[in-house]
Formats: sequence, C-alpha cells, structure tokens
Amino acid sequence: MILPSFLGLIIFSVYTIGYVLALSFTRRIGGQTVFIGFDHYVRLFTRDPNYWTAVANTFIISGKLLIELPLALILAVLLNRKMRSANVFRVIIFMPYILSAVIIGLIFSFLFASYEGIVNNLLMDMHLITTPINWFGTRAHALAVIIIASVWQCVGINMVFFLTALQSISPELYESAAIDGAGTRTQFFHITLPMLKRMTKVITLLAIIGTLKSADLALVLTNGAPGGRSENMMTFVFKYFFSQGARAPQIGYSAAAGTVSALIIGLITIAYLLLTRKEDSV
Amino acid sequence: MIRRTTSSRIIFVGLCAITAVFLFPLLITLFASLKSNMEILTAGGNLFPEVPRWENYVEAWNMANFKRYTVNSLFVTSMTIAGILLVATMTGYAFSRGSFRGKNLLFSLFIATMFLSWGPIMIYPQLQVAKFLHIHASLWGYIILRVFTVNMTMIFLAKTYIDSVPRSLDEAARIDGCSFFRIYWNIILPLIKPIIATIALLTFGETWNDYLLPLVFTMSKPVLKTLTVAVVGLKTSGQVASSWNLMLAGSMMSIIPMIILYFSMSNYFISGLTRGAIKE
Repeated sequence: MILPSFLGLIIFSVYTIGYVLALSFTRRIGGQTVFIGFDHYVRLFTRDPNYWTAVANTFIISGKLLIELPLALILAVLLNRKMRSANVFRVIIFMPYILSAVIIGLIFSFLFASYEGIVNNLLMDMHLITTPINWFGTRAHALAVIIIASVWQCVGINMVFFLTALQSISPELYESAAIDGAGTRTQFFHITLPMLKRMTKVITLLAIIGTLKSADLALVLTNGAPGGRSENMMTFVFKYFFSQGARAPQIGYSAAAGTVSALIIGLITIAYLLLTRKEDSV
Repeated sequence: MIRRTTSSRIIFVGLCAITAVFLFPLLITLFASLKSNMEILTAGGNLFPEVPRWENYVEAWNMANFKRYTVNSLFVTSMTIAGILLVATMTGYAFSRGSFRGKNLLFSLFIATMFLSWGPIMIYPQLQVAKFLHIHASLWGYIILRVFTVNMTMIFLAKTYIDSVPRSLDEAARIDGCSFFRIYWNIILPLIKPIIATIALLTFGETWNDYLLPLVFTMSKPVLKTLTVAVVGLKTSGQVASSWNLMLAGSMMSIIPMIILYFSMSNYFISGLTRGAIKE
C-alpha cells in the first residue's frame, strides 16, 4: 500500500534531484546536450554578481522575521487572556495565511502603486510624504514592500504557534509567582519567555526555511523590479528555467544556481535539525 | 480593579486597530473591484466607488473567460483532493499498522523528502518527467504530479491519527479473516473522518492557491489555466494598466471561496496547519 507513495518518491523526488544535479554540468549546444564540467559553477561563483544580489536579497527578506516573530508573540500574549472576542481577532489575523501568495502579491502591487496608489495617497493625506514614492523604483523600497506583504501574510501562523505554546504553560506557575508578589511584567520575562524558548527556536527555523524557499509572492509583487535588483534566490532560478520573453532559457545554468541555492537551504536545515534534536534530548 | 479594566480596554482598542490593518488590504481590493478602470487609475484615494460597478465581475466571468478557468480550478482541486486523500491515508495506514522490513528506514527516507523538496527548483525537472510520461499536455499531469509527489505533511497527519485508533479493532477484524487492505477500507477509513476533513481542507487550499506548477503546465495551452494562474496572468501579460478592474474582480473571485470555507471551518484550518508543521 506504500507503493504509490514510494513510486512518487523515486520518480518525482529522488530522480528529479539527480536530474537537476546532472543538468548543472551540461549545456545545450545546437539541440545537443553537452557535458561541460564545472563551467556553470565557475560562472556562478566568479562572474555573476546578479545571483549573489539575489542571495543577499533572500537574506534581507528573511530579516522580516525580526518584525514578524516579536509581533506574533505580542499578539499571542494579548490574545491568550480570557476575552470573549479573542477568537474573532485570532481568526482574522490568521486569515491572510490561507490566501494565495500570488494573489497577495497582486493586491499589494496594487496598494503600493506609485501613481494614485492607496498607500501613497494615505501617506500624503497624513502629510508624512509630499510627493508619491515610487515603491518599485529602488531596491530598498521594493524589498520593503515584499517584507510588508510577507509579514502581513505570515504573522497569523506564527501567532497561532506561540498561542499553542503559551497554552501549554501550567497556570500554577503564574499563580505561585503572583503569590510571591511578581507583577505582570516580571511574570512575562521570568516565566513566559523562558518557557517559550524551545518553541521559539522551532518556529524561527521553520519561518527561515519557509522564507528561503518562497518565490511566488516576490515573483508577482515586484517581478525583480527595478531591473532585477529585488530578485531572490528562488525567483532567479525559476526565471532562468522558464524565462518568458527575450532571454532564452539557460537550463544548465539555472540547474547549477538551483543546486547552490538548495545547498544554502540545506545547510540552514541541518542547523535546524541539530538545534531541535539538542533541545529534545534535554 | 479600575486600572485593570482601563488597561484591558486599551488592549482591546489596540487589537481592534491591528485587526483593522489586517483587514484593510482585502477591503480595499473589494471596493476597488467595483470601480471602473478609469476610476481606479485616476482616483485611487477614494475608498468607495462612486457607483458600484458589478459589471466588472460579469466581464471577468464572461469576456476574460474566468468561467472556464474557475471550472478548471474546481476540476483540478477536486481530483487532487481525492487522490491525495487516498494516497496519504493508505501510506499513513501502512506506516502505522504495517510490519515489514525496513519500515523505519523508509519512513526516515520519506521525512527526508520534506527537507529535499526544493520548491521552485524542482518544477523544471518535474515538468520534464511529465513530458517523458506524456502527461504534460493536460491538467491530469498536474494532478498526477501533485498526488504522487510525497505529501509528507498529509501522510504525517494521517499516520498520527491512525496511531490513535485502538489496535484491538483491527485485530478483531483480522481474526474474522479481513485482509490488510479490507481493514483499512472498512474499519480504519470510517474511523478517521476528522483527519480526512482536515487533509481535504488543507489540500483544497494548497491546490486552489497553487501558482508556479499549474503555470508551467498550462504555458503551452492557455485554455487550461487555473483561476489563480489566469488572474495573475493579466498582470504579467503587460496589459496591466488596462485591466486592473478585471484583475481585482478576478482576485476577489479567487479569494472569496477560500474565505467562505475558512470562516465556516476556521478551527480545522488553524489546527491542521499548525499540527502539520510543528509535529515532526
């Protein structure tokens, strides 16, 4: 009964990984696939600053977690009290997570339109800016918009992770702390935070891996604008595989870039496994 | 006591504000989807449309052919759900109840795929495999790929749930002469309906929202596009300025079924998504 899954595993996972690896050493010349050794990797590491910009962007975008995770924690703590409306807040804040990342990208590219865009108009009404900002005109602005959209989408799931963790803390701890005269703030820093430590590590690494692998949102939201400066690892690879328009696809080269990207993610995944394993054994 | 109520009132107001921020993008989209294209481009500051223009939805449905794409999406989604339900519960059952050599090793191999699923990197080779199998020219190719690619989260949800079903039930059935498969079909499946609902919902979300894989499967046959691919296609096709109203109406068409489903079963969604991700 495992056979269907097992066949899928061999054909769609194991074989395809091997196929990407093999492709990365080849090049198509006049309809023929030719073995060219490490040429693609040499090009990637020595002559393609665009790829490394994309890698840097991936890590900059991952920096969103510095906003996202504390925000999720604060919301979880606030919603973890007895309050009739808590469930309504929870359901609404979680909602963006179930929507399609590409549709979210579309919506945010509309909100942040530079001419008569909603966000620009709001900021001008509040006299925070005097002229409309061209959100997709510089790398910094474009990355900022990706971060905002991504935080909006992902805060909810992390909030729920934190809520689950909070609910597993025994209320007796807080009761005895209150008897000893610990205030709300002391309780938060001396009970809540330490008790959440293990869960926080898991959540953080899950979020990092999720962010590193995502392509959809950025692909639709900025599509690399301006001029490829906001591309990330995954959109870079995807575009070389399936370039639409003038540039012909460069299969071998994208396979090489894909392999290197996968190795980068793999290294971080191993860190994840080591960290969680260590915590489990304690 | 009084201080306590004021502080909780401040927290309540703060939460309302934050929730409003979370709703804001969707409300804007909803209102803007009722504006004419002219109004969207020249009066972006107005929240409400001057006159609600429901024709946007009619035009998107008929002229932009979203009718066809919605049917495609429904077809792909229902078939993928059926397939994944069958494969995931079978695999989960075999890993939970089966005893065969190398079971643990195989299970570790399955888990390893979670870390080897390189997302967008795998799409090209998967398409090549589909071409080799001659299933790349129809939506069935996409469905087959989705069903047979290891869906570890779903398998895991199924296995964990089946683990909690008492073994005495299948032992009794085995003594009565039930085969391994009959026990799965007649005894286990009826008992695991809650997790079947969860897996179905999560798969619905994943498939309905999916973009890159259905995009590459329909590149050569635009008539097969799913709704998500078609809506986004309006933006990438370079007719952005002229079709914002259609794009926004299309976005709402794609969002609304998700939201209705979510609001009616939000606890299934939230618990399914958290359990699937954290328990490893």
